[in-house]
Amino acid sequence: MNASFGLGAETLSRSLAAATPLLLGTLGEITAERSGVLNLGVEGMMAAGAVAGFSAAHATGSPWIGLAAAIGAGAALALVHAFFSVTLKANQIVCGIALTMLGLGISGVWGRAFVGTPLACRFQAVLWSRDPVFYLAVVLTAALSWLLFRTRWGVAVRSVGENPLAADAAGLPVDRIRILCTAFGGAMAGMAGGYLSLVYIPSWIEGMTAGRGWIVIGLTIFAGWKPWKAFAGALLFGGIDVSQYLFQDHCSPNFLKMLPYAATLLALLASGRSLHGASAPPAALAVPYRKGER
Amino acid sequence: MRRLLPSLALGVLLAACGKPAPSAVAGPAASGGQTPAKVKAGFIYVGPVGDYGWSNAHEQARRALQKKFPWLESVIVESVPEADSSRIIDRLVSEQKCDIVFTTSFGYMDATLAAGKRHPGKKFMHCSGFKRDANVGTYFAELYQMYYLNGLMAGALSKSGQAGYVAAHPIPEVVRHINAFALGMKEANPKAQVHVKWLYSWYDPAKAKEAAESLVSEGCDALAFTEDSPAVIQVAEERMKQGQPVYAFSHYSPMQKFGENSVVSGQLVDWGILYEEVLLRVYTGIWDNRDWFWMAREGAALLGGEFGAPVNPKFIEPLKAKTLNDPILGKISAYDLVLKRLAQMSEPSVLFDPFTGPIQDQKGTLRLKPGERAPLGSLLSVDWFVQNVVGDIPRK
Repeated sequence: MNASFGLGAETLSRSLAAATPLLLGTLGEITAERSGVLNLGVEGMMAAGAVAGFSAAHATGSPWIGLAAAIGAGAALALVHAFFSVTLKANQIVCGIALTMLGLGISGVWGRAFVGTPLACRFQAVLWSRDPVFYLAVVLTAALSWLLFRTRWGVAVRSVGENPLAADAAGLPVDRIRILCTAFGGAMAGMAGGYLSLVYIPSWIEGMTAGRGWIVIGLTIFAGWKPWKAFAGALLFGGIDVSQYLFQDHCSPNFLKMLPYAATLLALLASGRSLHGASAPPAALAVPYRKGER
Repeated sequence: MRRLLPSLALGVLLAACGKPAPSAVAGPAASGGQTPAKVKAGFIYVGPVGDYGWSNAHEQARRALQKKFPWLESVIVESVPEADSSRIIDRLVSEQKCDIVFTTSFGYMDATLAAGKRHPGKKFMHCSGFKRDANVGTYFAELYQMYYLNGLMAGALSKSGQAGYVAAHPIPEVVRHINAFALGMKEANPKAQVHVKWLYSWYDPAKAKEAAESLVSEGCDALAFTEDSPAVIQVAEERMKQGQPVYAFSHYSPMQKFGENSVVSGQLVDWGILYEEVLLRVYTGIWDNRDWFWMAREGAALLGGEFGAPVNPKFIEPLKAKTLNDPILGKISAYDLVLKRLAQMSEPSVLFDPFTGPIQDQKGTLRLKPGERAPLGSLLSVDWFVQNVVGDIPRK
C-alpha cells in the first residue's frame, strides 16, 4: 500500500517535470495566437533556447544566466518571425515552418562543441525538492490568465487577434502589439528549451526537443487558448509520457506508445465540439493585417 | 604584390624540388602502381554527428584519422534518411570523387550494394550488414562481451538483485546485448533478474529518462541501456546524490563524466582502429571485400565508462570486496573475475565466450547444451531472452 502510494506520488512528481516545458511553450504560443500570430516555429525556438541556455550556463556556471540566454534566443528567433509575418505580411504558416528549420539548424551547429559535455551547475530546489522554473511556470500561468482576461492590456491583445480593423480604429497599434506578443511567445518557447537542457536532461544533444514544439501547438488548440486549461493539458500529456513505462509489463508497448497521439486526437475531437463560442480560435488568427484594406 | 609573386613562385618550385612527391614516400604506392597518392573517403551517417552515440562515435574516429594521415581526405554527410542514401552515395562518388564510401547504417545495405554495381571502379564498406560484392565489404564492432562484463559488475554491486535495461528496439542486436548483460549478472548473483523497457527509438533522451525512472521506482538499483544519450546515467546520478544507490553502465560513448558517482563501467567502441585498418589497405592497394567483425580481441570493443579506465576507480574496492565462486577459477573477487574474463576474451583464441551453454530461455527450454558455444549466426538472429530476463520481446 505504502509502496504504491510512493509510486503514485513519484509518478505525479515526474509528470509535473515532464509537463513544465510543454506548459511554458503553450503559454507563449497562446499569447502569440491570441494576438493573431500563428507561430509554427516553436520547435526551432525551443531548440535554440536549449542550446543557448546550456552554453550560457556552461560558460558562466549560473543556471539563471542560462535561463536568461534561453529566453533571449527564443525571443530573437521569434522577432525574425514577427518581421516577416507582421511587418512584411508574409504567410505565417510558411514563415513558422521555416523558423523551425532555422532554429533546429542553428542549434545543431552552435551546439556541436557541447555534445558530450556534462552541465556542472544546477538550479537549487526551492520547495518540495522541485526546481524553481516549475514554480515560475505556475506563477506565469496565473499571471497570464489574469493579464489576458482581466486587464486592459489583455483586451488590447485579444481585440488585435479577433478584429484588427476595429482595434486599429480604436487607436491600438496592431502591428506593435503583435510583434510584442510574438516575441513573448518566443521567449517562453526559449525558456521551455532552457528547461530541457538545464533541468530535465541537463546536457545538450542535437534533437533533444524531440517534437515537443509540435505538441505545444496541439496543446494550444486543446487548451482553447486559455492558460489554465494549458496547465491541465500539459499535465495530462506529461503524465501519459511518464506512465507509459509503468504499464509496459502489463500492456503492449506498441499500444502504450500510441497513447499520447490518441490522446491528442481525442482532445481535438472534444475541443472541436466547442470550437464555436468560448473555445473558438481568435478570429484573425494567421491573417496578416494590412492597414486600409478590408 | 608584384614583387611578391615571383618569390612565391620560386618558393613553390623550391618546395616541389625539396620534398619528394607523396607517392614516393609511400613505398607500396610506388611499387604497386595502382595505389593513389591520396585516398578520399566518404562517410554517410544516419544521425546527426551531434548525437552522443552511434554517428558521433564514427565521426570521432574519422576526425582522428584525418589528423593522423596526411594522405587521407574525407567528407561526411550526416542525418541521411535510409530512403535517400542511394542519391547521397552517388553524389559522394561522382561529385566528390571518393575512392571509398562508408555507409554506417543497417538500412543502407541494399543501396550500398546497388551503388557497388553502378560504380565498379570504387570501393564501398557497409556497416552492420551481411551482403557483400566484389567491391562491397562489410564491417562491425560488436559489444556483447562488454555487456556481459557490465552484467557481472551489476550482479556483484546490486543489493536488490534487480537490474533495469532501457532498450531501443526489439531487434537481435539489442536482444543479444540484454542477454549478455543478464548472463553476466546471473554469474555474480544466481537470483538476479533483468527488467526490460522498450523505447522504440535509438535516440530519445526524454523517453529514456522516463523509462529509467520507472525501472528505479519499481525497485531496480542497476541500470544498463541502449540509447544514444546519457539520460539514463543522469537518472542514476540524481538518485546517487540523494543517497539512494543506483549503479549505471555507460553506453557506446564515454559517459562516465555524466555520472562520476554512479557509472561503474560501460561499453565503448573504437571505430578508429577498424577504419585505420581498412583505409591503410585501400592506400596500399590490398583492400578486399571481406567481412570485418571486430570485438575485444581486435581492440574495437572496450570496457569502461571512459577511455583508459575499464572500471570507475570509485567502484574498484567494492568490487574487490565481493567474492564469487567460479566453477573453474574457484574463489575470486568480482573485480578480478571481470579482468580475468576481459583478458580471456582479448586472447587471440578467445578463451571465454558469454554465450556458452548450458543456457536456458525464459520458458526453461535448453537453448545451448553444456559446453556448447553459440555460433555467430544464431547470435546475429537471436529472438529469445535468457532465463533471468523479465519482459517480452514484442512481436511485429
